Amino acid sequence: MVEKVKTIEDVCCPFCGTLCDDLEVDVDLKTNQVVEVRNGCQIGTKKYFAANPSDHRYTKPLIRKDGEHVEVSWDEAIDKAADILVKAQRPLLYGFSSTECEAQSRGVELAEMLNALLDNTASVCHGPSLLAIQDVGASLATLGEIKNRADTIIFWGSNPVHAHPRHLSRYSDFIRGYFRTDGRNDRNIIVVDPRYTHTAQIADKYIKVNPNEDYELIQAIRAVLRGSDLDVKEVSGVSIEDIKELVETLKSCNFGVVFFGMGLTQSLGHHRNVDTAIRLVAELNDYTKFLLIPMRGHYNVAGANQVFLWNTGYAYSIDFSRGYPRYNPGEFSSVDLLMRDEVDASLIVASDPGSNFPAASVKNLFKHPLIAIEPHKTPTSAFADVVLPAAIAGIECEGTAYRMDRVPLRLRKVREAPGETLSDNEILERLIEKVKEKLGE
Amino acid sequence: MDEIKLKIKKKLEFPLEADNITPDNFAGKTVAEIKKIPLYYATKKVKIGDFFDVSGKSTEVANTKIIIDGDLSNVKRIGEKMTGGEIEINSAVGMHVGNYMSGGKIVVHGNADDWAGAMLQGGELEINGDAGHYVGSAYRGFWQGMKNGIIKVKGKVGVESMLWAKSSKPANKWPTLYCGSADSFLGIHNHGGTIVVEGNVDRCAGADQAWGNIVIKGKISRILPSYKKVGEVKEVQLPNGEVIKGKFIEYSGDHTIKKETNGRLYVAA
Repeated sequence: MVEKVKTIEDVCCPFCGTLCDDLEVDVDLKTNQVVEVRNGCQIGTKKYFAANPSDHRYTKPLIRKDGEHVEVSWDEAIDKAADILVKAQRPLLYGFSSTECEAQSRGVELAEMLNALLDNTASVCHGPSLLAIQDVGASLATLGEIKNRADTIIFWGSNPVHAHPRHLSRYSDFIRGYFRTDGRNDRNIIVVDPRYTHTAQIADKYIKVNPNEDYELIQAIRAVLRGSDLDVKEVSGVSIEDIKELVETLKSCNFGVVFFGMGLTQSLGHHRNVDTAIRLVAELNDYTKFLLIPMRGHYNVAGANQVFLWNTGYAYSIDFSRGYPRYNPGEFSSVDLLMRDEVDASLIVASDPGSNFPAASVKNLFKHPLIAIEPHKTPTSAFADVVLPAAIAGIECEGTAYRMDRVPLRLRKVREAPGETLSDNEILERLIEKVKEKLGE
Repeated sequence: MDEIKLKIKKKLEFPLEADNITPDNFAGKTVAEIKKIPLYYATKKVKIGDFFDVSGKSTEVANTKIIIDGDLSNVKRIGEKMTGGEIEINSAVGMHVGNYMSGGKIVVHGNADDWAGAMLQGGELEINGDAGHYVGSAYRGFWQGMKNGIIKVKGKVGVESMLWAKSSKPANKWPTLYCGSADSFLGIHNHGGTIVVEGNVDRCAGADQAWGNIVIKGKISRILPSYKKVGEVKEVQLPNGEVIKGKFIEYSGDHTIKKETNGRLYVAA
């Protein structure tokens, strides 16, 4: 009898930075559809179902002719895309965080060839963390370490119940570890957030900080930790007594960790919030073991940073215009470049700036030729001049991805890619060949 | 002083990187030679002659004054690493004006974009308008930014100005910034820099200051909780010898760095 449904085990989920690697996926071989996902969270599971062949998926390359997308051959689409990139004086290559490392590496190769600007989504997400780490270093660890040892967990400006749903049960809260044999009961969870989030609701202690005043609060905690008596009675909505109590809790724990998210990196102060958080963690190591880990969003944004870093020396916001990589967020970061209208063509890989960037920058993005390597219909691809349909990494093709703690894991292929779609890696490879040909190399 | 005049003759679509426009590069060269000096435009290497009309003459660096006219708001890195002479810019100017400068003087008759006077090692930068963010700051990842020299900004400076400034008493180097008003995080990670603000300052001035002096003649929107009031003073003595008269409240900090600190923040009483 022919097998109808195939079960694939130990699948790595290509959704968030937690990168759970214990999913079981059932695929109907006849229809090439995922029919069941076990162990995954709501969002991760949804990604498998949404990836199933449907009207939302691109299956053939498209080119915009007279304002309409028309289906064309791969050769024609690649030729047109290469033409746009070669003719551009200041092209931007952006995205890369929702694809695998091999494709990211190709992206760097293409950017260098074109003397282009190269950026990944960290520039609107955890880029500030990277800036702060450059300034003051960071004490990081892998999630396994946290699972086995941590007894005090702080979630600062992050809400894993919704953003990283299995983080709590796999690494940081309910899970039993080698030294935390009683799981949740062995851990003290502290949440700092302006909102009483669902994570805050299951925490042992919730600290309500005023919006955009995280910096002042951390500074006060650090000063109290140094033994200073402060002039003020209240900081950012938190009383000095509470701050003193918090400092005692942190000093007396065995192994603490700070998980921080967009609440720190994208509220006022940005990288300076992370800067002072890192210093707090470093100073706490005078008393006990303390670490911090950024809660990365896209499943492979950490990988994008790693790949860019080992190829160019910089994690994001890179400019190849002089033939060698230069780095300066603010000057070469995508949003700033687009705001100043300094880009005259863009290649967007596995990302949707059209729905995430500020309106003024999106306007400038759509003004110039735009190429999208994209599996789905998105606001960005709808305005693209060339759409190159991609297979989804981690579902329709293999690859490597980095978890939020920078541990590389192998993504698996669970079913065949629909239509004529190719992997991001293959598309970029073809594009590189064509660009080489056009540049006469 | 020998004058060399440049006038931009094209409207720029992309930023022009003009790190070669310095008295050091122009001194002793004929107009024809100056026109051949390379600049960078988008991905191309171009020449000064392609973008500027050039006239005048020069002999030695200290005696060279470059006067630039036309819209320079998208021209970056003018005066990079200059060691002497003068540059006068009769327009708004793009990013990184006078970065790594170690001597001489730059005057901008207009606004300057971000990173004006970044990593300044000496000399004087005068901006008769507003300046962007990171005035006199360290570049990404550097622990020592502005080490000497003076920056004067008539208007406002942006966020994180004088980031990681570093003074040296034995070498008598006192990096100093004078400005009209300032945005948040002024003088963050200060290690001896001096800042004098005529007007108001936004939040977090002097954050993580190890030592140094920040004098604010206007108001501060919110003082950091890690600063402590010391008392009132009638004048402030700056390390470069200057004395500022007026009633100020003296704060010490930032106490996140040390329990006892030499960092001082003076705010008008």
